[in-house]
Amino acid sequence: MPSSQAGVAHDDGLRKPWGTIVAFLLPALTLYVGFTAYPAIRTLWNSFHRVLPRREEFIGLANYADLARDDIFWRAVRNTILWACTSPLIEVSVALLLALALYAKVPGARFFRVAWFTPVLMSYIVVGILWLWIYNNDWGPVNVAMRALGLGAWTRPWLGDPKTALPALIFVTSWMWVGFNMVVLLAALHSLPKEVLEAAELDNCGWGAKLVFVILPLVRATLLNLIVLSFIGKMKIFDLVWITTKGNPLWATETVSTYVYKRAFEWTTFDLGYASTVAAVWFVIVLATVLTLTWAFRQREKLEY
Amino acid sequence: MRPRNLLLFVAASVTAACFANTASAQQVKELTFWSHWAAEVPKRTFVEEAIRQFEAKNPGIKIKQTWYEKTALYAGLKTALRANQAPDIFYAEPDQAEYMENGFLLDLSALNWAAVEPWAKEAWTYQGKPYGLPLEAWTVELYFNKKTMADLGVSVPESLQFSPDAFSDMIKKAKAKNITPMALGVGDRPYPGAHVVHEALLKKLGVADYAALLAGKLSWSDPRVLDTLKWVKGLTEAGLLPATFTTLKLAEAHGYFHTNPGALTFLNGSWYTSRAFNPVDKGGQPVDFPLGIMQFPAVPGAVCNECRSIAIGGSYVANASTKHAKEVTAFFNSFLSPEMGNRWLDVVKVQTGIKSDPSKMTDKQAADYFAMIAKTNAGAKYHFGIPIQVMSGKPKEVFTQVFNNAFPAGNISVEDAVKQMAAAY
Amino acid sequence: MAILRRSLLLLVLTLYTSFAAGPFVWAAMMSLRTTTEIHRNHFAFPNPAHWEKFPDAWFNSNYGIYFVNSLQVVVAAVVILTLIGAMAAHCLARYRFRLNRVIYFILFSTIIFPPQITIISLFQILVQYGLYNSKVGLTLVYVAIQLPLTIYILESFFARIPADLFDAARMDGYSDWEIFWRVALPIALPAVATTVILNFILLWNEFLYAVVLITDESNRTLPLGIQRFIGDTQEDVGMIATGLMIAIIPVIVVYAFFSEKLIQGMTAGAVK
Repeated sequence: MPSSQAGVAHDDGLRKPWGTIVAFLLPALTLYVGFTAYPAIRTLWNSFHRVLPRREEFIGLANYADLARDDIFWRAVRNTILWACTSPLIEVSVALLLALALYAKVPGARFFRVAWFTPVLMSYIVVGILWLWIYNNDWGPVNVAMRALGLGAWTRPWLGDPKTALPALIFVTSWMWVGFNMVVLLAALHSLPKEVLEAAELDNCGWGAKLVFVILPLVRATLLNLIVLSFIGKMKIFDLVWITTKGNPLWATETVSTYVYKRAFEWTTFDLGYASTVAAVWFVIVLATVLTLTWAFRQREKLEY
Repeated sequence: MRPRNLLLFVAASVTAACFANTASAQQVKELTFWSHWAAEVPKRTFVEEAIRQFEAKNPGIKIKQTWYEKTALYAGLKTALRANQAPDIFYAEPDQAEYMENGFLLDLSALNWAAVEPWAKEAWTYQGKPYGLPLEAWTVELYFNKKTMADLGVSVPESLQFSPDAFSDMIKKAKAKNITPMALGVGDRPYPGAHVVHEALLKKLGVADYAALLAGKLSWSDPRVLDTLKWVKGLTEAGLLPATFTTLKLAEAHGYFHTNPGALTFLNGSWYTSRAFNPVDKGGQPVDFPLGIMQFPAVPGAVCNECRSIAIGGSYVANASTKHAKEVTAFFNSFLSPEMGNRWLDVVKVQTGIKSDPSKMTDKQAADYFAMIAKTNAGAKYHFGIPIQVMSGKPKEVFTQVFNNAFPAGNISVEDAVKQMAAAY
Repeated sequence: MAILRRSLLLLVLTLYTSFAAGPFVWAAMMSLRTTTEIHRNHFAFPNPAHWEKFPDAWFNSNYGIYFVNSLQVVVAAVVILTLIGAMAAHCLARYRFRLNRVIYFILFSTIIFPPQITIISLFQILVQYGLYNSKVGLTLVYVAIQLPLTIYILESFFARIPADLFDAARMDGYSDWEIFWRVALPIALPAVATTVILNFILLWNEFLYAVVLITDESNRTLPLGIQRFIGDTQEDVGMIATGLMIAIIPVIVVYAFFSEKLIQGMTAGAVK
């Protein structure tokens, strides 16, 4: 964001070409207002009504009162936040370790980058189906490998057991995003100024000290960006859960997005009001958590080098 | 021709052409028709043939059919109805009260209800008016492999109902030979797992108290309920169900029972035939499969061991905003005759809500099958509807999650299950 | 010591690559085998390779229709996005006016919006305007959901273009539109390429909006089609795998072609 200030200050100090400005902004803003801003406001409006196909009744805060007592919703919130907190940590730390390990010469870089990026390129639907097969109790590679290694007692229907279903899905998203994070971190590492690293080398730093005191602070911005990106992504997750477990078993993998969809389109009612309430409350929660996160991570001093 | 004659001739031709067009436009009315059973060959054959016969008798009406798998159909309907893009006729089951509550269904009072069983009409009656054509009726049956049963040295009693001890013994014997006692899977349906629990509860409590329990009027902490749940838990802990229970799909569960790896019993609706009597390469049971049917075992301390659930299954309903109400009614009426009822029994081999006569069956496989069904249903007392058809809202959701999925899979204790249910009402 | 380090490096590389690409390779193998062969041995190499499954899936299982629908919707959406997104980004980067930062901030903050906040109302709105269950409706929604990200990426790039270029162009008598079209856009091509690829990939794989807003079989996009397929009775693992391949391959091709540009663009944003 700071970079654009320099550009803006320059042009057209004399008269503002309003015609041009409007012409350039109008298409984008029209679509934005029509398909993003207005729907968001309407969802809020829905949340105060019972929204049926032929009529809408104003019911004030009744939906919100029901929501406060809805233990399925709060379970979904817990699941989603848990997911959004653990996933980034795993994805970024594993990616960092791998990036460091591969910081040295990587032969065939282009091939590897394509290979590591493949999970991210696939639709969550495709990934979900693949992992449904991988986790299959009878013939999925996970259980087959376990039985081959004599660990037969550890096999279980990973996506069918309430205790392992959510961790299993978190593992899947980590599998997807570690490659992406690693490529970004590698680029970041390669862009570090050589002089600083060489200076640390000359100072006879140990490997560990070099990591903690030199490298980490330099890539801190990238790490934090990746964490925030991953956090936001997990708060929105829907496709993966929908194609694998749909929130089962026993709401162990129920996320807010699947719950909203179910309340809006799958319960034996046509009322859209309650689902809108869930969406509105969730929006506030997401906003609050992301703002907290970015505030906590803001750079306090610029690194001088 | 002189100009004036030419003009007249052109005018006459054009007018004639216009009339010809409207006449032909009036001739063919197209009804849109969405149905489940895309993969259930007997039912689909029956309905397609009924449509063909109807179109032959009524040349001005064409029915455009689209066949779906159930979950996709329900999802599509939910949004299409709201968006006013729903078809004229579609498949529905009586538990979908929301259709009637929101006025989406056409009132079918004008149908020939004399040809329909009164309890079938009752299932579709909302505020005094009937809204659905009750084609399929089904009971929960316990299928078993006669040969495997004999090989295990277990003999099924004359009454076709095991005592609780005999049933547990059967489970033990099956487990000893590494055979899954009961095939069952809840991977893609919200009701199969619950069959064990609700049939047991129904027998223990009797029809009246069972209905009260589902409606929230009888407490789930009632000692009889707790006893029954503990008994079922004993069965599941003894290894009644497959390890893949939670992810096994309905069609796969059929295959699990009759083909691979083969189970001893299979608790399913009597529409088992819709998939099992398909040709083998379409998922049907092997030729000459030794199919037997018995009753759900007696429950310890039960008040009504002859009680069982009967439900109206696949039915057809009409869109309230259809522009062809007369044609739709005529189409539905074409189903309401004893001949059609018997034809359903012959082809589909599942019970029906249409009044029919099982003794008039012409197909041997159907006759044999219904003879078995008649035996297990002899002297039965019925409760109409399975739990998810009579419950709605939060209790229905919790019941499904707890008693269809978690409880049979052994993932929740009796106390927790009861607590969840109590909190749901 | 160096050899140990080298071999360790190689080990990590191979392990991770097989972990990342393994499932994909497994699916590719299964896509060339029939379901019966698969059930006999889930991990065997395709022998013989049933290439005819691909045309079979394309024509008989409707994957062809889904593919074409996806192509139509996504290409249209990406074209519109690039055009109006670039216009808006150029305007926000170039011209100074009171509402500039406000609009920018509003657009930027929408990136964190969870889709649920709009999806229910979007359903209602599209029904109201008769755009429900239509590719046009879906395209417009797709443009709207990717606008904030596109404008964000493009704006930061446009802003870095030195002002002298614009001053020079203005003195040469270029109109505002020509400045945008002939000066700014060509220079910003790398960033534009990045957004094109990013949007293509994200929208090609998009599922939630599609599943709510499209129900007609003839309008289904690819992710929707695959999900429908897996919901059908017999789990035809072989056919599903073939379908998965049909879905994955375009994206991999687009990515392999443009991978360098894309990584440059993405890492530039994140490394900043």
